Amino acid sequence: MAKTILAVDDSGSLRQMVVFSLRAAGYQVTEAVDGQDGLEKARTQVFDLVLTDQNMPRMDGLSLIRSLRTLPTYQKVPILMLTTESSDEMKSKGRAAGANGWLVKPFDPQRLTEVVKKVIG
Amino acid sequence: MTKEKRLGTHVRSLLSNLSGHGTQHLNEVETDLMQTSYLLGEAIEKLGASFMAIHEAVSAQQASIDALLAAGQASPELVEQLRERHAEIGQHVNAAVTGLQFQDLTNQLIGRTVRRVAGLREVLGGIGTGSSGISDTNAEEIVSALASINEVLEEQSVKLESALWKAVCQTHMESGDIELF
Repeated sequence: MAKTILAVDDSGSLRQMVVFSLRAAGYQVTEAVDGQDGLEKARTQVFDLVLTDQNMPRMDGLSLIRSLRTLPTYQKVPILMLTTESSDEMKSKGRAAGANGWLVKPFDPQRLTEVVKKVIG
Repeated sequence: MTKEKRLGTHVRSLLSNLSGHGTQHLNEVETDLMQTSYLLGEAIEKLGASFMAIHEAVSAQQASIDALLAAGQASPELVEQLRERHAEIGQHVNAAVTGLQFQDLTNQLIGRTVRRVAGLREVLGGIGTGSSGISDTNAEEIVSALASINEVLEEQSVKLESALWKAVCQTHMESGDIELF
């Protein structure tokens, strides 16, 4: 059965590229338009991986990660940030919040697929 | 008219004009930025749709090629050529996907600029409001009013800057770093 990924980003065009790249690699991808939407979707289904942007309305990426890590079902689920942010300060915050990795936009589909495969197979 | 009265009038007029004209120009800047943002949004929708359509067509064509190759009709040279062409297309697709993310980045930059424009408009509005109370009778009062306006300007500017975190530092559309913790 295909591994499932929750892709959270307020940019529709970015989500389109993420979905295109990961579905081509055989993953089942569900989209969320911001952190709040992502959290609601995560509560209804346990995804194999969460890929989230940082700067989003209603709930940002770090807040989403902290909220997910309070859920028993998301203690061990890998969460990767996919964001324009690249500072060490933000990466440290991401790590402290519970992120497992940090990808800086723009992404290359092949590299994205490779890292996802490394994390969830 | 005394010198002080003239000075007060001129200072009031200067600050009022700065506020008024500045706000007017900032309104135009904001309008142009919003228009740019809408156009970029529409462009990426069209580009995205075209990209998907082209990719589907190419994939369908590849399926036909694979079927022909499976029938064993093609020479080894042709098979190799087609394999190379397929790999080349894959590379171009990856490059296109990376490039098509431009709208996300530029939209964030435009959004930050629009927020700065709104903040500047508030600052200029405050200068205009503050200027109306400037006395034209007393040099000391004029100096005091100007110092007060200056102080508020300083505070508002710092506050505005702190609210405008720069999330996008990219200057090229090359794929970014990846780090697993």
